[in-house]
Amino acid sequence: MSQGTFWYWRKLLRIDEPVSEEYLKEFKSPLVIFRPLFYLLVYILCKLYFRVKVFGIENIPKNQPYILAPNHQSALDQTMVSYAIGRKRREDLYTLATKLFYDRPVANIFIKIATNALRIDTVEDFFPALRAAAKVLKLKSSVYINPEGTRSETGQLLPFRVGVGVLAVETGAPIVPVYVDGTFRSMPPGRYFPKPVQITVTFGKPIYMDGYFKKKENEMAYDVYKEVTDELFKRVSLLKVGNKDI
Amino acid sequence: MAEIEQEIKEMVAKIIKVDERMIKPDANIFIEYGVDSLLGVEILAGLDKKFGLDIPEEKLKEIKTLNDIIRIAKETISKKA
Repeated sequence: MSQGTFWYWRKLLRIDEPVSEEYLKEFKSPLVIFRPLFYLLVYILCKLYFRVKVFGIENIPKNQPYILAPNHQSALDQTMVSYAIGRKRREDLYTLATKLFYDRPVANIFIKIATNALRIDTVEDFFPALRAAAKVLKLKSSVYINPEGTRSETGQLLPFRVGVGVLAVETGAPIVPVYVDGTFRSMPPGRYFPKPVQITVTFGKPIYMDGYFKKKENEMAYDVYKEVTDELFKRVSLLKVGNKDI
Repeated sequence: MAEIEQEIKEMVAKIIKVDERMIKPDANIFIEYGVDSLLGVEILAGLDKKFGLDIPEEKLKEIKTLNDIIRIAKETISKKA
C-alpha cells in the first residue's frame, strides 16, 4: 500500500513545475553590495584570528548543483563555510536560514550580506522552503542546508532531519557532507563575540543519488529519504572524528 | 464507514511501523510513537492512493491523531459525494 509514494512528494514540492530564471533574484538582497567588504573582513579574520584550515575542497562537484550539508553549532558556521568555498561558489549558493535567525532585524541584515538567504520555518511549515530550495537546484545553483535544523547547544551532533534527503533525492543533487570544527569553542550559542580558536572546515566526498532513484519507485519514499539522511549523518560523524577521507 | 476507519487504521499502522493494536485513536502519533512529522505526508499520500482523496496540504498541520486522519478522510469523502 505505502509503496512508491514519491509522486505525492513531488506534487507537494511542485518539483515538475517550470521555474523562471528570474526566480533567483528574489533572494539577492540589495545589501549584497556590502558583500565584498564583508568577506574582505572575514578573510582577514580567518587568516589571522581563526587560522582557518580547509580540507577536501576538491570534493565539491564541478559543473553541477549540489547541497552543502554542514553540522551547526555556532552562528559562525555559515560564514566559515562560505569563506572556505571561495567567492565564485559563494555567489551561487543559497542558504536555508531558520526563521529564528532570519526574523531578527540585525541578524537579517547580516545574513543577507553574507549569503543569498531563503527563510525556513522548521517548526510550523518547512514545505515553502523546501520548494524554494528545489527551484534553486533546478536552476543549477546550489543550496546550503543545516540538516540538524538548529544549532547544537552542546557541540554534539543533533539528529538530522529528513528534509535534506527529500531535497536531494527529488532533485538529484548530490549532498556534500561538511564538518565545521572549532566554532563551538569560539562562539557557542549565547555568546556574541568569538574567541580566537582555530577553525577547520572539512568537505567530505559527495553522496550521489543514482543508487536511490530505483529504490524510490518501489519503497515508501520517506524510507528512501531517511536512508539518504542517515548516510549523511554517518559521513558527517566520521568527518567529526577526524576521518578526512570520507 | 467502519470499514474505511479500519482500513485507515491499518494503513497508518503500516506507515508509522507500529502494531495496529497499539494505536490509540486520540494519541498524538508523532509524540506517542516518536514518529517523524514528515510521515504525515505519507499518510496523505496513502489516503490519495487508497481512496482517491486529494487532501489539501494545509491539512497536514491538523494531522495529530488517528481520529484526526479519519475525520479529515470522512470530510473529504462527503465533499466529494
